[in-house]
Amino acid sequence: MTRFDSPRIVAYAGLAAFALVAGLVAGRVELVALAAPFALASVIGASLVRDPAVEATLELDRDRALEGDLVPLAIGLASPGGVDRVELLLTVPDELVVEGGHARALALAGSRKLDVSLRCARWGAFAVGPVRLRASDRLGFHSWEARAGARQPLRVYPSVETMRTLLAPLDTQAFIGNQLSRAKGDGIEFADIREWAPGDRVRSINWRATARRGELHVNQQHPERNTDVVLFLDTFADVRSGMHGTLDLTVRAAASLAHRYLQRKDRVGVVSFGGFASWLLPSSGTRQLYRIVDSLLQMDIVLTFAAKGLDILPPRTLPPKALVLALTPLLDPRSAAALLDLRARGFDLVVIEVSPLPFVDSGGDELARLAYRLWRLSRESLRLRYEYAGVPVVEWRDGEPLDVVLEEVTAFRRYARPARA
Amino acid sequence: MISGASAIVVYLGVLAYAASRDLELAPVIGIVGGIGAVLLLFVIVRRAEDVLAWSILMLGVAYSLSLVTHRRGVDEVSPLVAGGLLLAAELATWSCGERRQIRVERRVRLARAVAVALLVVGGIGVSALVLALAAAPVGGGLGWTILGAASAVGVIGLATRLAR
Repeated sequence: MTRFDSPRIVAYAGLAAFALVAGLVAGRVELVALAAPFALASVIGASLVRDPAVEATLELDRDRALEGDLVPLAIGLASPGGVDRVELLLTVPDELVVEGGHARALALAGSRKLDVSLRCARWGAFAVGPVRLRASDRLGFHSWEARAGARQPLRVYPSVETMRTLLAPLDTQAFIGNQLSRAKGDGIEFADIREWAPGDRVRSINWRATARRGELHVNQQHPERNTDVVLFLDTFADVRSGMHGTLDLTVRAAASLAHRYLQRKDRVGVVSFGGFASWLLPSSGTRQLYRIVDSLLQMDIVLTFAAKGLDILPPRTLPPKALVLALTPLLDPRSAAALLDLRARGFDLVVIEVSPLPFVDSGGDELARLAYRLWRLSRESLRLRYEYAGVPVVEWRDGEPLDVVLEEVTAFRRYARPARA
Repeated sequence: MISGASAIVVYLGVLAYAASRDLELAPVIGIVGGIGAVLLLFVIVRRAEDVLAWSILMLGVAYSLSLVTHRRGVDEVSPLVAGGLLLAAELATWSCGERRQIRVERRVRLARAVAVALLVVGGIGVSALVLALAAAPVGGGLGWTILGAASAVGVIGLATRLAR
């Protein structure tokens, strides 16, 4: 521990010396009497030097939590000889809030355990600790400072929204899943009746239709298949206001969609397209959900001026017939170009616009308001470009359920079916 | 907050006593002590503990002026004045050390209050002892002067060593 001495020990000794000399010179005993308490205080202050050797340990109740959760943290303090006053400051990132304040002063006799709660205000991968300690004697003449306690990792996952409906893709894959395929084959859901052909099973014969037409007819079903869903996250830009921003919404939406699609036995992949591109190949299962959520925690905005195209992504990250759900604030032209490129390649693309408008001030003076209106017009024109290309664009704002947004896409698709590339 | 306000009250109380000892010199004492009071306020507001000694020194000088000009025997209240100066200094230091963001346990505050009280009472006691010894009929002479000078040199030496 590093020792710091209060400047008042020297000040008191100096005052005492000054008063003594003044008393001698002036021949007044009162001045000597004035010096006495300060001399006593400086002697007591100098005699109180004793290293308290305070040690601290940190123990998090768990290393994973959801946004909004309270995570208990136990801080163990120990000092062999005890300390009159220990101030401790818990080092935590801004996204974690220590309930009841992160700085405390307490007395320590031997050892002591302090229980505090951390409120996870925002998702992310964090480190809690170390604790900054300042021990001091009862009169504050000397203090000792140190950092103690190993850093504890804490992963805070974004909260997942409950979704009742999901967007059906235009095409399904070959594997078994819960999505009703548009194709005809073996399945449960009735699709059509056709004439019997060699190889058809007897149990698929529709006897009623056969009796009516005089020829063998068989039933056809829609098979249940899975889909490949690629969550395309635009991480070129983020518009923030305080603790909230478009990136937060993007990550939250991605986590919700991934969770729900994986529950439905679909394969889900993630492509983060921004300052640096990263991807996660589509796969299914709980392990994939953990992989996706862990990769989402690493999402960040990295400023770059490099022009990026989809060519930098490995082909397998965007499998054929995949449903691409793009989550973008529509702020960077590079991501817009990449998405239009995807559409041109024939991908089933849906753009969910994570609206930056709640985080933008419309401006105080007329010029700022004009700029704001022009900016909104340019966004509108970008939306129209997508719609001309047959890509549904839906706006999603903080607080709105994702279900509503996806329902809008379904409604759009009923009337504007994209042409095959 | 409370300790800072208490420090100023104690300081002004000592200043008022010093000024009341010699009403002719009261404006001068008031000015000198007033500068010290402003310095004390600065110490408390800006947490500038380094300036504290100057504030106490100003009040000590103000009191000394009243002692030098008012040569009518020994001021028997001087131990209380000394205790008041020390109390003002300790309370101001306490105020500097506290932060609103730090949640302090009640027993820590109580322990410090008791410690400050004991220190001040001890200081007043030592100061009173000095006055009592000075009043004792032990005579005077060169020996006592040398002993006094040696004590002063010792304290100065201690102050110098601590300053290092």
